[in-house]
Amino acid sequence: MNEEALLARASEERERIFQRYERGRENLVGQIDPWEDPEFEEYHKTDRYGFIHDERLPQKTGSQKVNIEVEREKKWVKMLGNWDTSATKEKLHRRIYKGIPNSLRIKVWCKLMDVNKVKSANPGKFQEMLKLAKLWSTDVRQIDSDVNRQFREHQFYRERYSEKQCSLFNVLCAYSMYNSEVGYCQGMSGLAGVLLMYMDEEDAFWALAVLLSDKKYAMHGLYIEGFPKLTRFLEHHDKILTKFMPKLKHHFDKFGLDAILYSLKWFFVCFVERVPFSLCLRVWDIYLLDGERVVTAMAYNILKLHKKAIMKLNDMDLIVNYIQVKLHKDFGFEDDFVIYQLERSMDELKRAKLDYPGQPPPTELPKRQLGIFVEPDKKQKIGQRAENFSETEKQARATVILRERGISYNDTVLTGTGATVNSIQGNLLKREKAEMELHELRVSQSDTVSEHSGVAAGMRCDDSVSALGSRRSLADTSVTSTADLSVFSSGRSHAPDNSLDTHSNVSDDATGSDGSGICGLSIQRAPSTTHSTPRATPHPPSVSPLSDDIVRIHVTYNPLAASPSHLTPINPSKYKGYNDEHHKPVSLGFYPSNGAMNLPSDNRIRIQVPSEELLTPVVDSGRIITQRFIDHRSEMYDLK
Amino acid sequence: MATNVASGAHNFKVVLLGEGCVGKTSLLLRYIEDKFNDKHLTTLQATFLNKRLNINGKRINLSIWDTAGQEKFHALGPIYYRNSNGAILVYDITDEDSFGKVKNWVKELKKMLGSDIVLTIAGNKIDLEHERTVPLEEAESYANMVGAKHFYTSAKLNQGVEDLFLDLTKEMLNKSEQTSQMDVSRTSQVLVVDDELTPVQTSCCSGSKSN
Repeated sequence: MNEEALLARASEERERIFQRYERGRENLVGQIDPWEDPEFEEYHKTDRYGFIHDERLPQKTGSQKVNIEVEREKKWVKMLGNWDTSATKEKLHRRIYKGIPNSLRIKVWCKLMDVNKVKSANPGKFQEMLKLAKLWSTDVRQIDSDVNRQFREHQFYRERYSEKQCSLFNVLCAYSMYNSEVGYCQGMSGLAGVLLMYMDEEDAFWALAVLLSDKKYAMHGLYIEGFPKLTRFLEHHDKILTKFMPKLKHHFDKFGLDAILYSLKWFFVCFVERVPFSLCLRVWDIYLLDGERVVTAMAYNILKLHKKAIMKLNDMDLIVNYIQVKLHKDFGFEDDFVIYQLERSMDELKRAKLDYPGQPPPTELPKRQLGIFVEPDKKQKIGQRAENFSETEKQARATVILRERGISYNDTVLTGTGATVNSIQGNLLKREKAEMELHELRVSQSDTVSEHSGVAAGMRCDDSVSALGSRRSLADTSVTSTADLSVFSSGRSHAPDNSLDTHSNVSDDATGSDGSGICGLSIQRAPSTTHSTPRATPHPPSVSPLSDDIVRIHVTYNPLAASPSHLTPINPSKYKGYNDEHHKPVSLGFYPSNGAMNLPSDNRIRIQVPSEELLTPVVDSGRIITQRFIDHRSEMYDLK
Repeated sequence: MATNVASGAHNFKVVLLGEGCVGKTSLLLRYIEDKFNDKHLTTLQATFLNKRLNINGKRINLSIWDTAGQEKFHALGPIYYRNSNGAILVYDITDEDSFGKVKNWVKELKKMLGSDIVLTIAGNKIDLEHERTVPLEEAESYANMVGAKHFYTSAKLNQGVEDLFLDLTKEMLNKSEQTSQMDVSRTSQVLVVDDELTPVQTSCCSGSKSN
């Protein structure tokens, strides 16, 4: 087909879809496919929010509860009458945490988002956008397909081309023109779907606009190319897990479970379809009041409440199923209790200064002016997909791949001084793998692969800052010692590593070291088949049965190091157990430029391990001399 | 990895990839629940469904991961296909662009996972045969070239779905048995990069562009 024909086809498709929504259900008799229109008989009961259940309602609404809500309504009505007073401000927080009465939710939500203000500032805009969408929107096909499946178990959305389905379609189409950077992104149908349960079309449109572009919610950054806000919040989420629930984090890591796999919808649609709807509304109430930090805290709160249950699940599928499906059906705790805990979680995070991932950087905010028509280019009009990933997407992929290895660009472990042997070597391993994959990725992106060295040649670090950081951290932990410090990978369990068993040579030009120690430091990775090397035996808590690698860090001590001419690494192959050429370690070479002066005179080693779970083996001349839990504070341990 | 020796069952992870609206979720629902589309929800977050099979007395547990199709989400691909034993790349026979996207996925999976993953291509929506725009021969010869099986399916009419999953499972079983034999002598894993593939594919893609 030539370009014109393709353009005509796309535009014909758009018109056809629009027409059907305009005609609506009543005028489409006989034209709706049976599969699009589930029979009502399949369901039995509708809950108070309009969701239809095929079983008994999950939560009984006791008469007592209803009475409380009636009492609250009265107070709320009064408060709505005096919204902008200090008395309201004072009570608002407490009352919202108790839950907005369902009958008043629409009013309160509109107040919290200031929908009327935005709407009256833009008269006619919604209709204008909708008209433009009819002529130009390139997202109609995806929107149509998503409207056909969003909240289909809800009475408003059950019937194909029902009034609310049409509203949902209109809101999303209009928004796709209003915000040309986002257009339509999957997930937005969930947000608009919830809003439309309470609001009319135009209000829902403006509420959606507020959620995306108001700095309090800033969801724009979630839906643009590369999902920068998602990765930023996930990074923060990981940080919280590492600090407050290291065992759970370790449990997730053991099964290769990245947070994206269970928490995407938490961040994207603020827990819609991940917790029971009644609870979801309570979280939305608070989210609309307090903004972004509520999502972070609720994510933490969910895992905190279900930590025990999750720790018992020894399979990635089971864990994902529990968090995604089970908790949606039955959260296992009363809504009031969850919200009470949520508030406590927020306090807890605040005390640790982890309650807020920070202001959104400019890249996460709308750059183009909203509501200004931008004509799509031909490719977009035809609906042609990009052949290759864009730069932004490539970066997002890189982040995703690095995330999988538990490395983040801003990882404090890598850049800070509180480096840990365990995490460093873990991270180094992960980094190597990630870099291998990134290398592969670059190759596959550029389509110019000519050789696959797999080893040193391709090993260049994209992110030189963090690479430098990791070297620096290693230098920090080291190390003037006769000890041959061997540590083992805490191992990602079932990663079938294609790129494993390569020795990466991260060379150092000596500027990265801060001169805190002099050492020749070498890292060796060995495949699991060499478990029996005399140097070491895996220490049980950190090595899963499936772990396929070991790391050894050799720290060679040179007592004559007073003279820089002696700063050559001792060839590790001199040590027994390293006769095997294949496993010859590669020197990382940490030589401080002025290091000689800083050489401590004793044989002590400084290790800091933040994990309460992992034993840290301290090894001297190939013998494990101690396995112990080492205190959080960095301490000096005398190896003698 | 793929085999749970203790229980004697094979566990395979399969990932469904493809452009939005090609029918990934429909295929999965048809296969697992023999339903078409009622109550079916958008796949924003990857979800998975399990299926137990018995092939020649071997117990197999499939966990099939469904992914979001909208183009924006493809950047998250590595999270989903990592550790997969098999991938089903779905396109819509009435949408040549969705077929182009399959080629991209094949390229990416080959690069990232080498030959460790069994690839299957599914041309879905054959109930709309009269609207077909992806030529039959092109699809089949492409699949052949990249070493993938090709199936025609209709989730709506329940055609070809069972065959698709059954064949993929058998292939994964073969592969896992071969691999476990190799494992005995093997000391290292090397990533296989299919270099020859690249030029052929490039011409292929540019060919589809001019369509």
